[in-house]
Amino acid sequence: MAHEIVMPQLGLSMDSGQIIRWLKQNGEQVEAGDLLLEVESDKSAVEVEAIESGILHIVLGPEAGDIPVGEVIAYLLAEGEVPPAGDGRVAESASEVVSKSEVGAEPAPQAVKVVAVGHGNGPRPGRPRSSPAARRRASQLGVDWRLAVGTGPDGRIKERDVIRLAESGEPAIVGAVAEEVQISPVAQRLAESVGLDVRELARQYPGKRLERADVERAIRLALSGAQPAVGPGSPGAAKPSRQPMSSLRRLIAERMSRSARTTAPVTLTTEADATDLVKIREGLKADSQTEVVPSYNVLMARLVAAALMEHPHLNASLDGDEIVRWNTVNIGIAVDTERGLVVPVVPDVQEKSIRQLAPAVNDLLSRAAEGKALPDELTGGTFTITNLGHLDIDAFTPIINPPECAVLGVGRLLEKMVVVDGEPAIRTMVALSLTFDHRLVDGAPAARFLQRVKQYIEQPYLWLV
Amino acid sequence: MPERVGTIREAINEALREEMGRDERVFIMGEDIGVAGGVFKVTAGLLDTFGPERVRDTPIAEAGIVGLAVGAAMTGMRPVVEIMFSDFTTLASDQIVNQAAKLRYMTAGQTKIPLVVRTAMGAGRRAAAQHSQSLQAWYCHIPGLKVVMPSTPADAKGLLKSAIRDDNPVIFMEDKMMYNEKGPLPDGDYTVPLGEARVHREGTAATIICTSSMLYPALEAADLLAEEGIDVEVIDPRTLSPLDDETLIQSAIKTGHVLIVDEGYQSFGVTAEIAARVQQGAFDYLDAPVRRLGAADVPVPFAPSLEDLTIPNAERIVEIVKEMRA
Amino acid sequence: MAKRRSPQAEAVESGAVSLDVLLDMYRRMVTIRKFEETVYDVYSRGIMPGLAHLYTGMEAVAVGVCISLNEQDNITSTHRGHGHLLAKGGDPKRMFAELLGKESGYNRGKGGSMHIVDMSLGILGANGIVAGGLGIAAGAGLSASLLGEGRISVAFFGDGALNEGLFYETANMASLWRLPVVYVMENNHYGEYTPSDKATAGTGPARAEAMNIPARSVDGNDVLAVHEAAQWAIGRTRAGEGPSFVECETYRWRGHHMGDQGDTYGYRTQEEIEQWMEKCPIRRFNDYLVGENLTDAQTLEKIDQDVQRLIDEAVEYAKEAPYPDPSEVFEDVYA
Repeated sequence: MAHEIVMPQLGLSMDSGQIIRWLKQNGEQVEAGDLLLEVESDKSAVEVEAIESGILHIVLGPEAGDIPVGEVIAYLLAEGEVPPAGDGRVAESASEVVSKSEVGAEPAPQAVKVVAVGHGNGPRPGRPRSSPAARRRASQLGVDWRLAVGTGPDGRIKERDVIRLAESGEPAIVGAVAEEVQISPVAQRLAESVGLDVRELARQYPGKRLERADVERAIRLALSGAQPAVGPGSPGAAKPSRQPMSSLRRLIAERMSRSARTTAPVTLTTEADATDLVKIREGLKADSQTEVVPSYNVLMARLVAAALMEHPHLNASLDGDEIVRWNTVNIGIAVDTERGLVVPVVPDVQEKSIRQLAPAVNDLLSRAAEGKALPDELTGGTFTITNLGHLDIDAFTPIINPPECAVLGVGRLLEKMVVVDGEPAIRTMVALSLTFDHRLVDGAPAARFLQRVKQYIEQPYLWLV
Repeated sequence: MPERVGTIREAINEALREEMGRDERVFIMGEDIGVAGGVFKVTAGLLDTFGPERVRDTPIAEAGIVGLAVGAAMTGMRPVVEIMFSDFTTLASDQIVNQAAKLRYMTAGQTKIPLVVRTAMGAGRRAAAQHSQSLQAWYCHIPGLKVVMPSTPADAKGLLKSAIRDDNPVIFMEDKMMYNEKGPLPDGDYTVPLGEARVHREGTAATIICTSSMLYPALEAADLLAEEGIDVEVIDPRTLSPLDDETLIQSAIKTGHVLIVDEGYQSFGVTAEIAARVQQGAFDYLDAPVRRLGAADVPVPFAPSLEDLTIPNAERIVEIVKEMRA
Repeated sequence: MAKRRSPQAEAVESGAVSLDVLLDMYRRMVTIRKFEETVYDVYSRGIMPGLAHLYTGMEAVAVGVCISLNEQDNITSTHRGHGHLLAKGGDPKRMFAELLGKESGYNRGKGGSMHIVDMSLGILGANGIVAGGLGIAAGAGLSASLLGEGRISVAFFGDGALNEGLFYETANMASLWRLPVVYVMENNHYGEYTPSDKATAGTGPARAEAMNIPARSVDGNDVLAVHEAAQWAIGRTRAGEGPSFVECETYRWRGHHMGDQGDTYGYRTQEEIEQWMEKCPIRRFNDYLVGENLTDAQTLEKIDQDVQRLIDEAVEYAKEAPYPDPSEVFEDVYA
C-alpha cells in the first residue's frame, strides 16, 4: 500500500512550506528513520525523516514553491507498486482539514454596495447637547428638546429643562424642524436608481421612516401618470400653456441631468449589415412551429449580452472610486410611453435562449408601455438598448442611463446599395450608436465592443451556437 | 429583645465555626491562623475547637497554600485558606487563575473546586504600598472565579457561609480596617445568597454604588447631602462577580445620576465595569454621565497625610454628586 | 553451565514479579509508544490543532511507577502527559478524541492534550503550567490524610519543574505534614530547549533530601529498575512514613513540542539522540524478556499487533467523532 508523504506541520503557526531539496532520489529505497528531505518553514530549514519504508516516488519538488501543510509531496511504494492515479496532489487528509472560508458566490447586481447616506450621526456644529433623559422626556411630553434652554454644564439640556419647556406652553411641536430624512437603505437605493427625490417624498410622510413600500408607491404613482392639478392658463388662448412637471417627468429629468453632469459621454457610430439577422427573423415568423417570434429588441438584447460577456468593462458601473464589473447582463430596453420614457430591465440575458427571452420580453415591454411594469422591473440594469429605428432615425447620441457605463442606440433597418466582395449588392443595413462613459472605458476598448456587436449582427451563427 | 450586635471579626469567626461544625470536609489553612489565631485575630479559638488537622498553620508559601487547597478541593475537601494580605495573592496567582478558576471548565465538569480564599484588602492602615491594595478587579476579570466583598457583620457572616457552601472557587475579600465595625449580627444559620445587592438607603436624587468599606463614607455623604435636600440611594453589590446588574440598573433608571465608589485604583477597575453596565442598561434615563471614584492611581503612600489623599472619602462623594446634579 | 540470572529474573522466578505483571508492563509501554508516534504522524498532517508534547522514549518511567498503583491512587502529570495517562489506564479512544478537540474526548474537547483528567482513575490531570501539578498532588495527599483514605498521590514532574518555586513550597509542606505523596522526577536532561546542566544547580535528590524526603536515582529506561524504586517509594509512603522521591534518568526522543527544532537536531546533537535511542526501554525490555526465557518473541509480537489495532481504532474513533456543540462554550464555567 502506498504511504503518503505530506508537507509536515513543523510549527504551531505554519500553514505552508517549501521543499529545499530531496535527500533521497526518485526510485530509491527508503527505510523508516532515513532523512528524506529538507523543508523550509517560516522559521528555518528542517530535515524531515521517513516514518515508513518504501521506494520513493516524488510528486513535488523545490520548483513547486509554497506547498500547503498536509498536501502530498511523495509516496513510498512497495516493490512494483504504482502510485495512486488521478490528481495525487490531494491527500486523504486534505478533505479532513477543517475548511477555511469557502469561496462565496459573487453578489448579484441588485446587491449594489450602496451606502445609505447617513445623516447627522456625528457631532454637528451648533447642535445643542442634551442628556438621554432629557430627550426621552421630550418625546414623552411631545416637545422638541432642541428648543429647550439648557442649564446643565456647558449649556447641556437636562431633563428639568425639557420639563420647564413643556410647562411653559410655548410652541415646540415635534416635526417643525425635520431636517433629516429617515429612510431605509433599500428604499434609498430604489429611489436613487429611478431618480426619485426622497426629500419630496419625506414631506408627504412627516416623521415616518421611509420604507421600500413607500418608494414603490411613489414610483407606481408616477408611472400611472397621476398629475397634479393643472395650473392657471387655459389652452386655446394666446398665452403659452403651463403645466407642472409630472412625477414621471421629474424622475426622467433628474436621471438625465444626473447623467449629463456626472458622466463623460462619447458616442461611436457604425453601420452593420443586418441582412442575415432579418432573414432569421423572417424565417421564424414564417415557421408555424414558432409560437413567439422574437422582436428585433430581443435579438439585439441577446447578441449584445453575448458581446458584453466578452467585453465586461462595458458592463460595469462606477461606485465611488471602485469600478464594479457585474457578473451578469441585465439589459434595459427603452420604451416610449405616453407619459414619458420608461426603461424596463430584462435580467440575466446572457443565460437565456431566444426561445426563453421572446415571450418574457414581449410581455415586459407591453406592460411597460401601459405603465404597468413593476418597480422592481425598472431597476438593476447593467446596460441599456434604445431603439429609434421605427421612427426612421439612423445614428444618434443616446444618453447613458446612470449608473451604467454605456448605452447602445439602434437605428432603422434600411435596404441600401453597398459593395460586397467588390460587387454592388442590396443589403439591409442598420446604424449603431454606442455612447460610453469615458471615465470608465477608453475609446478603443469601446470600439472593439461595438465592432463585436456589429460582427454578431452580421454573423448571427456566432452567438446563436 | 434588642437586636444581636457583633463585629465583622466575630461574624467571620462565627461563620467559620458554624460551617466547620456542620461539615467535616471544611478545614482552614494559612499563615499564623491556628496558634496565633490570625494576624487580625479572626480565627482565634478555632484551633482549640477543631484541632491542628483542620486548623492548619502553614509555612510562608502562598502558592503552596493555594496549590494544596486546589488539590484537596478536587479530591473531596472544602478548604478555606487565608492569604494574610490581598497583596500576597500575587504570589499565588497561578494557582488561583490558571488552576482553580479553570479546572472545572477545562475538564468539562469532571471536577469542581469548592475553595474559598479569604484575604484582607484596603488602605488606611499606614501599611504602605505592598500591604494596602484592593485587587478585586483582577479576580472579577477571571471567568470561573467568584468575588465577594462584605461590608457589614451580617453580610460577612451570611456571605462567608454561602461562599463555603458554593462549589466554586470564591475570593472572599475582607477590609482590614473594618474588622472592628459593629452591626446587627443574626444568630444561627444565617446565610446571604451570592449575587444579590443590598439597598442600604433609598432615594431619588442620585444612586451611589459602593463596595466593601466604601459603604461608610457613602452613608456619611448621604447624610450630608440629605441636609441640603438631596436624597440619594446607597447600594452595596456585596458580590462583585457575579454582579447583580438588575438592582443597580433599576436604581439608575430611577435616579438618572450614578456614582460608583470602590477602593481599587480608579483606572481599569471595578468602577469602570459597573459604570459600563449601568450606562448600557439605563442609558435613556441618565441625566448626567456616570461617575466613578476609586483610589488614586498611585501606589499607596506611607505618610498618613499622603495616604488619606488617595482614598475615597465622604467629602469627595458629596462633591461628585453635586457635580452630577448641576 | 548455569546462566547468570539477573535479580529481576530471579524475582520473577520467585514469584515476586509475576509474568502477568511483566507482560502488562510491556503492553502499557508499547501502548504509549504507539500512541505517541501516531500523534506525531497525525499532528504532522496538520489535522491536530494546538500543541502536543511527546513522551516517546520515556515509557518505562510512567509504566514502572503506575503498574504498582491502585485505581483510586491519584497521579498528576505534566504538559507531557499522555504517557502517564495511558499508564494509569486512560482510554486511548477518549484521549485521541480529546486531542482532536472532539466532543467524545475526556474533556469534551474543552481541555486538549495538556488538561486531560479522568477522576474515575484518580488522574488529576496533565497540566499546562510547569510544576502546576505539584500543588494538586500534595493537596490530594492532604485530603487523603484528612479523610483517612488509604490512597496515595504520585506527582510526575520534570527536571525543569524542579526549579519552580511551587515544588519547594509544596514538597516542604508535604514533608512537614508527612503527606502521602510520591515525587517522581523524570530527568530527561532538557527543560524545553535548555539542557539541565545549564538550568539546575545540584541535583534533584539532594534537594529532596534537604527537605527530609528520602530520595533515590535510577535508570529511567530500565522499567524493572523503575518498578523496584517505585515499589520502595510507594511502600513507605503508603505506610505513612511521608513523601518519597525517585529520580528517573531518561530521554525524550522527540522535541519539547511538535514542531520544535530539537525534533530534528536543533539544540540536541544527532549523536546524543541516537545514543539514547540505543537504550530504548521497550527494546531493552523485549530483549530481556525473551533473553531470559520469560516469554517468547511471538507473544510480544502479538501484544504489539493488538496494541497497534487498539491505537488504529482509537484514531478512527477520534476522527469520526463530532465536534462539541457551540452551546458548550458557556457550560461548566461555574458549578
